[in-house]
Amino acid sequence: MLKIFKWWWGIALAFGLLGIARMFLPLPFMNEVVIFSIYALACNFLIGRVGYISFGQPAYLALGGYATAFYLVHFGTNPYVGILIGVFGGLLASLIIGPLFVRLRSDYFAMVNLALAVIVFYLMQKVLVSITQGDNGLWFLTRIDSTPILDLTRPGHFFIFALIVGLAVWAFYKYLDDSIFGACCLATKLNENKLQFLGYNNFSIRLLAFVIANTTTALAGALYAVYLGFVSPEMASPSRAADPVIVTLLGGVGTLFGPIVGAIAYTGMKDVIAKLIGNWELFIGFLLVFIMLVADRGIWGTLSPALEKLISRKKNSARGERDD
Amino acid sequence: MISTQLLISGVIFGLSIGSIYFLLAIGLSLCFGLMRIISLDQLLYYSLGAYFTYSVNLLTGNMWVGVLAGMIVSALASLAVERLVFRRIYARDPTFSMITSFGILIGGIGIIKFFWGVVPRPVEVPTLLQVDILGTEVPVYRLMVIAIAVCVYIGIWLFLHRTIVGKAIRAAIEDVEHVEGLGINVSRLFTLTFVIAGALSGLAGGLHAPLIMVDPTMGLETLAFVFMVVIIGGLGSIKGTLISALLVGQVVSLGSIIYAPMAQMAPFVIMLLVLLIKPTGLYGSPVFKR
Repeated sequence: MLKIFKWWWGIALAFGLLGIARMFLPLPFMNEVVIFSIYALACNFLIGRVGYISFGQPAYLALGGYATAFYLVHFGTNPYVGILIGVFGGLLASLIIGPLFVRLRSDYFAMVNLALAVIVFYLMQKVLVSITQGDNGLWFLTRIDSTPILDLTRPGHFFIFALIVGLAVWAFYKYLDDSIFGACCLATKLNENKLQFLGYNNFSIRLLAFVIANTTTALAGALYAVYLGFVSPEMASPSRAADPVIVTLLGGVGTLFGPIVGAIAYTGMKDVIAKLIGNWELFIGFLLVFIMLVADRGIWGTLSPALEKLISRKKNSARGERDD
Repeated sequence: MISTQLLISGVIFGLSIGSIYFLLAIGLSLCFGLMRIISLDQLLYYSLGAYFTYSVNLLTGNMWVGVLAGMIVSALASLAVERLVFRRIYARDPTFSMITSFGILIGGIGIIKFFWGVVPRPVEVPTLLQVDILGTEVPVYRLMVIAIAVCVYIGIWLFLHRTIVGKAIRAAIEDVEHVEGLGINVSRLFTLTFVIAGALSGLAGGLHAPLIMVDPTMGLETLAFVFMVVIIGGLGSIKGTLISALLVGQVVSLGSIIYAPMAQMAPFVIMLLVLLIKPTGLYGSPVFKR
């Protein structure tokens, strides 16, 4: 009971801070951060828990985004249904792709996923031009209905919605981490033979983890689509393939707050660097190399031990006073 | 039915594309086989090779000098990267090196954009001669590309099988620790292999430059195909790389004769099929050594 209370406190703090930050920082920035942290949470789960480094996340992002876009362009106008369709599209795609991919060794997995991202990019840009309008993208901002309570066409309301969704996703991943399933995922990463020996099936654990993570990614894609009101092949662009991986590494692999911290830091840096220097690739490339070589624990991974020390010291001193 | 003329030019086109993929993939494959790293930065040396071919070609008017310059610059760049970055991460997981090398690739694209800008640059073909093969006019340049790739394959084969250094590399692919135990400087072998891979990638870029436009993201565009070649052939196998490079080249070229948009999708389907049957590719080693 106490444990539940504790992690609820953690979530409330993190998202409360995001909510407060909304007052000081521009709204588009905050929306970007929230969506990006959902995107990075999935990637973080794959890297930190299952041990799969996926460079193909943009593919699933684009699949989710395009599924939403197709619905909003051709069939309906309700953004909520659109997001659901996007999530469902991601679920379907990862159910089809998953069984094939999770059999692979982690190095092959990373390469095949990157190839998938490039293929999805080609698919959207060249092969399916008649449906996707190629590089022009699909525009549907004016087709989105204003819904009664939370009007997703207004950025302010969208932020609240995204924050709620982000909170739910975060809580879900926190639950997964504490469950047996989370432990199994970690075990497939550390020692798959032992896990098999205990009577678990590596394949189905990995498949489930893959499907969960990529459905979350598709959700982020659907949110992007509704927020921006258009989708373009740029979503699946291979030059952005490393984005979620960078955010995850920047924040700290395997930590739950990592993706949020990483998303804030990354989006912030992107805005600043794009304004100051303009050569974003140069910066991000060297940042990535730097993280990998020197600081592979990330921002949160470095900060949290210090914070914990601070908190425990405070507690100890408080207890000490009581004892006296 | 497809006419013979179309078929012959298609096959030649496929062979030349396959040759370029082979030159690129062999570097990736050798690096994985020996050092257990996935070196995405080979695609950076490919772009560098292409850009130096373009610049030197403008200065001297001779493309072959440009290709040579591109090769040298690529080799030097790969030497620097190996010394500064890869040396520190050989002991880590292969996917770790993949992220790091992706960082180098993206950073390198940033550098290229800084010096050359984002506008695509054309490189003129050194010879516009055509040769008659079975009644079909075939550009000589494409035949030259194929010939160079064949020479490289023979050269690599001779190097690996007939020289003592090559034999040490092959032995190290089998078992690094034993080779180290024999008193061979493995770290120097790693550097040599990496530089050879970088130079070959530069060569591939230089040769590819006249056939396409040179632009900063050309490495990322070729990336998927090189990956597919390496995965279909199996990581670490030179024979597998050759076979799958030829296969992918033909599929791309003949596929585009039948239905153009499918040409880019078909290798991916083949890759999925190969992985379905054999998750480590055609000639890949089933287990991890080390």
